[in-house]
Amino acid sequence: MTERTRIILMLAPAFLLLGGVFFSALGLTLLRSFRYMPVIGLTEPDLAAYATILASPGFLGSLGLSLWIAAVSTLTSAGLALAAALLLRQTFPGRRLIGFLFQLNLTVPHVVGAIGILYLFSQSGAFARLAYAGGLIGGPAEFPALVHDPFAVGIILQYVWKEVPFIGLILLANMQAIGEDHEATARSLGATRWQAFTHVLLPMLMPGLIAASALVFAFAFGAYEIPLLLGANAPEALPVLAYRSYTDVDLAARPEAMAMAMIIALIGGAMVLVYARFARPMGRGRHAG
Amino acid sequence: MGETPLPAGILIMLRSLAAFLLMSTAAFADTADGEALKAMSWDQILEEARGDTVNWFMWGGADNINQYVSDYIGGILKAEYDITLNRVSIADTVDVVNIVLTEKEAGVTDAGTVDLIWINGENFRSMKQADLVFCGYTDALPNNALVNWGNPAIANDFGVPVDGCEVPWNTAQFAFAYDSALVAEPPRSMADLLDWIKTNPGRFTYPAPPDFTGSAFVRHVFLYAAGGADALLGLFDQAKFDVAAAKTWAILNEIEPFLWREGQTYPNTVVQMNELFANGEVAFTFNYDPAQFGLAVQAGTYPDTTRSFGLNDGTIGNTNYTLIPFNSPNKAAAMVVQNLLLSGEAQLEKAKPEVWGAAPAIEISRTSDTVQAGFAAIEGHPSVVPAEELAKAALPELQADWLTAIEAGWRASVGN
Amino acid sequence: MRGNALRLFAGLALALWLVLPLVPLAIWSVAHGWRFPDLLPQQWSGNAWAYAFSPGSGVLESLGLTVFIATATTVLAALVGVPAGRALGLHEFRGKGIVTLILIAPAIVPGIAVALGLHGVFLRLGLTGTVGGVILAHLIPVIPYMTLIMASVFSSFDTDVEAQARSLGARPVQVFIHVTLPAILPGLMTGALFAFLVSWSQYLLTLSIGGGRVQTLPLTLFTFATSGRNDVTGAIAILYILPGVLILLFTARHLTGRNQSLAARVGA
Repeated sequence: MTERTRIILMLAPAFLLLGGVFFSALGLTLLRSFRYMPVIGLTEPDLAAYATILASPGFLGSLGLSLWIAAVSTLTSAGLALAAALLLRQTFPGRRLIGFLFQLNLTVPHVVGAIGILYLFSQSGAFARLAYAGGLIGGPAEFPALVHDPFAVGIILQYVWKEVPFIGLILLANMQAIGEDHEATARSLGATRWQAFTHVLLPMLMPGLIAASALVFAFAFGAYEIPLLLGANAPEALPVLAYRSYTDVDLAARPEAMAMAMIIALIGGAMVLVYARFARPMGRGRHAG
Repeated sequence: MGETPLPAGILIMLRSLAAFLLMSTAAFADTADGEALKAMSWDQILEEARGDTVNWFMWGGADNINQYVSDYIGGILKAEYDITLNRVSIADTVDVVNIVLTEKEAGVTDAGTVDLIWINGENFRSMKQADLVFCGYTDALPNNALVNWGNPAIANDFGVPVDGCEVPWNTAQFAFAYDSALVAEPPRSMADLLDWIKTNPGRFTYPAPPDFTGSAFVRHVFLYAAGGADALLGLFDQAKFDVAAAKTWAILNEIEPFLWREGQTYPNTVVQMNELFANGEVAFTFNYDPAQFGLAVQAGTYPDTTRSFGLNDGTIGNTNYTLIPFNSPNKAAAMVVQNLLLSGEAQLEKAKPEVWGAAPAIEISRTSDTVQAGFAAIEGHPSVVPAEELAKAALPELQADWLTAIEAGWRASVGN
Repeated sequence: MRGNALRLFAGLALALWLVLPLVPLAIWSVAHGWRFPDLLPQQWSGNAWAYAFSPGSGVLESLGLTVFIATATTVLAALVGVPAGRALGLHEFRGKGIVTLILIAPAIVPGIAVALGLHGVFLRLGLTGTVGGVILAHLIPVIPYMTLIMASVFSSFDTDVEAQARSLGARPVQVFIHVTLPAILPGLMTGALFAFLVSWSQYLLTLSIGGGRVQTLPLTLFTFATSGRNDVTGAIAILYILPGVLILLFTARHLTGRNQSLAARVGA
C-alpha cells in the first residue's frame, strides 16, 4: 500500500460521514434557499427568498442583534480570559481550585448556564433580592432589566460565563508552551513588565487568542436555545428567527428560513477561515495550510 | 511508517452503523389504515391495539398533568389493554403540527412519528386545513356517548367545526388570579380593570400575542370594545373587524404607559408573566385553565392567598381535544387511549384538585352513579374559581380567522 | 504583598463567578416556592427530586438515553477520528490545508445552519425521530473535535516504536492494541471527554432530528424551564451536570501533566 492510499483510507470514514451528513445537508439548504423544490413544483431556482429577507426589517434587526451578541460576547470573553490566564499563571493560594473550576465550567451545558443566569439576573432574581435587602431598590421594577432585554445583556453574560474558561484554558496551554524565557530575556534587556507583556507575550499569544475567539464568535452568533431562554420578544436572535420560520405552518416561509440558515453558514464559514488561518498548524512543524 | 491502524475496525463500524440505523427505522405500519379501522367493531379495534405503543405529544410543563398521564392513564393502558403509552413532552404544540406537516410533504403517509396530540385552536385549524388529521371515527369510541356534541362549544374548536376529527378532553374558561393579601378587592369588569390599570401604574401586563394566553386577553378587550361577541360570531368580516379593532388598539395604547416596564416591552410568554406575578411584580395573572392557579399554589410557586375570578362581562371558554394525525401507524391504540380519556373514571380523576383540577369534557349526568357521586364530592381548590361560577358569564371563542387578524393587528398597532 | 492580596481577591471573584449561576439551581431544586424578596426559600421540599426520580416523569429514562447517545457518538467519533487524526498529525500531503478546513468546518458552522437541511435529508431516509438519526446528527460537531485532538496527539507520536514491534513479528492489530493505543490513550481520553460533552449538550440538533421523540435531558430540562417550574428545573439541571462533573473527576488523572486542559487541544 502506498502512503497516499493509506492516507486516503485513514481519512475516508471521516470524509464519508461528514460529507454524507454535513455537506449534503448544507447543499440541500442551499438549493431550497434558491426556492428549488421540485416536490412542490418549484423548479426554477431564484433569489426571491434572499430578496425577501434582505428587505425585511425583522430579519435585519435579528441579524444586527446576533452580530452584536457575538461581537460583544467574544471581545468581553477574550479580554477577561486573557486576564484570568495571566492570573492563573502565577502562584497564589486557591489557584488549583480555580483551575479545577475552569475545567468544571466546560462540562456544564449552555442551557444550564442560561437558566442559572436567568435566576441570578432577572428583575426578581438573586441579585435583585440582594439589592432589595441592601436597600438599593424598592421593588423588582427598579432593578435594571438584564434578561429579556433589548441589549441582550443576559445572553452576553451567559456566553461570557461559559467562554472565559474556554479561551482561558487555551491561553494557559499556549503560555505553558511558550514558557517564560522570552519575557525574562526582555526584562533583562530593560523592558518593564507591561512592555514585556505587550511586546513579547501578547504577540505570541495572539494567534491562539484569535483562533479561540473565532470559535466563540461562531457559537455565540449561531446558538439557538440561549437567546430563546434569555432574549427579548423582539427582535429575536437570528437563529431563533430562522428556526421559527422553518417551523411556521405556512410552508412559504421555509425558503426564507433556508436563506437565513445559509447566511448563518456563511458567517460560520468566515470563522472557519479565521480559525484555520490562526490556529496552531497540525503535523510536524511545517504549516499545514 | 505504520500500518493503517483500523481498516477492520472501520468496516465493522460501518456495518454495525448500517444495521443500527436500519433497526431504528423499522416502523412497520400496523394500524395506519384508518378506513379499515372504521369498518371494525370496537372489540376488533381493541384486539388490533394490543401490544402497540402510542406516542402522545403533549405540552409537558406541568408535573401533575404529566404524572396523571404517565402514571394513571399509562398504568390502566398497560394493565387492561396491553398498550404502552409514550408521553412525549414538548414545549410548544406548533412543533408537532410542523412534524406532521413536514412528514406529509416528504411523503411519509403511514409511518408518522406522532400518534396522538393534545391540541386546540389555531393548531387544529392548521392541521385540518392541511389535511393532516384522521377524521370520522369518533362515533366508534364507546365513551363518545358521554360527550354532548349538541353543545356548540364542544362541536366547534375556536369556531372550526370538529367534524369527528378530534375528541374533547377538557373544558376551560378564562379567569384572572390575584393575591388577596395584596389586592383587597379586584376589579370585576373589563371597564373596572382598565381603570385599575391606570390608577396602579406598572402593576399589570399581558404576554405579547401570538402567545396563546396574551392573545386571549387581547380578544377580551376586543369583545369589550365591540360591545359583545354576538356581532362577531361566524365568518371573518373585515368591516366589522376594522371598527372594533380601531377601538381595541386605542384602549390598549391608552393603558400601555401604565403597564409593567411602562409598556415598552411585554412578556414573551404566559410563563414570564406568571413569574412576574409569583414575585409580586404585577398584581394579576390570567389563564385559560384556572386549574393552573391551584397547581401553582400547591407547587409553592404562587402564595397561598392567591384567589381567582371571572369578569361580569364574561370570559371566553373553550374546549381542548386530542387528535390522531393522518399518518399515525398506531391509530387503533390511539383510539383506545382517547376512549379511556373520555371515561367517567378518568375524567373524575383529573377533576380532583390535587391531581389536576381540570373541568370535564363529558356530561356528568350521563356517567355512572359512582362517578356522579365522585364529582359531587370534589371540593375545589380555594385558589381556583369554580367552573360553575365562571359559566354564569361565558363568552364564545371567535373563529380562527379573527384570531389571526387580531394578532397581526396587535403587532402592527400596539406592540411595536 | 499588595500584589498577592490583589491576586487572591481576583481569584476569589473569579471562583465565585464560575460557580454563581449554579447556586440558585441547587437551591431551587429543594425549595417549595421561593419568591421575591426572600433571599432563601421559606419552605423546603424534596418534591422536585421525588418527581425527577419517579418513573412516570421519564427524567431518569431521559438521563439514560442521553448517556447512551453521547457514549455511542463518542465511540463512533473515535473510530472515525483516530485514523483521520493520524493522517493529519503524522503525514504531510498535498491538499492537507483544504482537507483540514473541510474536517473542522462542521464544528464551527452553527448547528442551525445544517439542522434545517439535515431534517429534510433524514426525513427522506426515515431517520427523523430515531435514536440512530440523532447520533448521526451529533457526529457532525463531534468528529471534527475528535479529529483535531487526535491530530495533535499523533503529531508528537513516535512511529518508530510501532516499527520495532512489527519487526519483532507483531501483527497490525497487536501493534495497535499493545503499542499505539497505550501511547495515544491519554489524548484519546481527552478527545472522548470532549466528544461526550459536545454530544451531551446538543439541543437544537436533537430537537430538530429527534422531533421530540428522542427525549434527551436538555429537551426535558427546557420544557420545565419554559413552564415556570423552577424547582423541577433546578433538580433536572443538577442531574444534567452531574455526569460531566463525574467524568471530569474520573479522567482528571489523564488530563494532568503535559495535556492539562481539554480545551488546550482544540484551540490553537
